[in-house]
Amino acid sequence: MNKAIEVKGLRYAYPDGQEALRGISFTVSEGECVGLVGPNGSGKSTLLLHLNGILPDSIDDSTAVSIHGNPVSNRTISVIRREVGLLFQDPDDQLFCPTVYEDVAFGPQQFGFAEDKIRSIVAQALSQTGLAGFEQRPPHHLSIGEKRRVCLAGVLACEPKVLALDEPTSNLDPRGKRNLHEILRSLPVTKVIATHDLEMVVELCPRTIVLDNGSIVADGPTAELLGNEELMLKHGLEKPHILRHHHPH
Amino acid sequence: MRHEFLDRYSRLESSIHRLPAMLKLFTATILVITTMTVPANHAWVFITIAIILVSTGFASRIPWRFTIGRLFMLEPFALGIAVMALLQHNGIDVFLAILIKSTLCLLTMILASNVTPFSEVLETLRRLRIPSLLITILALAYRYLFVLIVEGDRLQRARRSRTFTAGRAKKWISLSSLIGQMFVRSSERAERIFAAMTSRGWK
Repeated sequence: MNKAIEVKGLRYAYPDGQEALRGISFTVSEGECVGLVGPNGSGKSTLLLHLNGILPDSIDDSTAVSIHGNPVSNRTISVIRREVGLLFQDPDDQLFCPTVYEDVAFGPQQFGFAEDKIRSIVAQALSQTGLAGFEQRPPHHLSIGEKRRVCLAGVLACEPKVLALDEPTSNLDPRGKRNLHEILRSLPVTKVIATHDLEMVVELCPRTIVLDNGSIVADGPTAELLGNEELMLKHGLEKPHILRHHHPH
Repeated sequence: MRHEFLDRYSRLESSIHRLPAMLKLFTATILVITTMTVPANHAWVFITIAIILVSTGFASRIPWRFTIGRLFMLEPFALGIAVMALLQHNGIDVFLAILIKSTLCLLTMILASNVTPFSEVLETLRRLRIPSLLITILALAYRYLFVLIVEGDRLQRARRSRTFTAGRAKKWISLSSLIGQMFVRSSERAERIFAAMTSRGWK
């Protein structure tokens, strides 16, 4: 299997000196879906921001992250940003255009695609996320679930090979969650999902990485890790309900 | 929560709403320029403009309550300056001229912004070859005005829910810290928006 993401000894400290990541190493193969779990402030979001070079602020050539064998550097950054799609935690940060159509078209426009091609890409991204007919809606009239899906459509329109998702189900109602699970399941790309929604991890990710205080404390099969009550409680998590009962509900 | 304080009726269905945005923008600009430049003694010009505006107002189906309310909200800014004119010789004429002109201009802009969705205004500006950076800034300003207001509401509600004494001095102090909070939050959000833009290829 080809390596989609390779991270070797990644360290990062915020400008105020606080260490966020203390030497992180892992690889993700193409097509894998990995859950990234850990308590608040463990460094999940910071790690995701490194995957497409938003952090660190200036990248020298001794970079710790490679995507499909390409090290993330100033030279490769524009290719990497296209390959890795990032879904932010707060949809209002990511939806910055006056209409849904324009927002989803933003990425393809930056790549300089022709107008017809953009139109067909946007139509496809919107139908993939169940948003056909939302083109002219202004983002401030959407529900949070719809906003999240528009964000995802905007990311998908860039045709990424790797998806890095930061808390994709936070603040969603159960139907919104289920809806998003289905959409994510239908996408054949490599996925890294940072979340507190452990039920989703059990459902979608065969593999889990547990992060605490800027270090990886466990990396392995989801059922084994999340089923380990001691490990979960030690790192501010809990054994998900679906793993507690062995009979089907 | 829905906030539509700016252009609540911009997506109504009416003959005026259906007109091309370019035409509406062009007409509004001409009306404002005419109002501002024609000397005050040409009453018939102002009467004509007023008739145009009032008939547009009826055709657009925007409730007059809304339009007049908006006018009262904005007028004090113009009148604040006009009042100064009263202090000088023949001031009443100048005052009336400013009152009429500002009312017509404001009415034009209130109607124009409520018969054209903002995204269409931007599209028109783009076609007029206004620099794209400027259009991006306008688009972001419009988009985040709503987010900012919702955030301000939330902060204020949180503050109220924990305000037990109603001392005026305390109120002002906490209001100033609220404004400071909004400022910090906005600048942090701006950074996250920039990150979101760069991660979708913005350079």
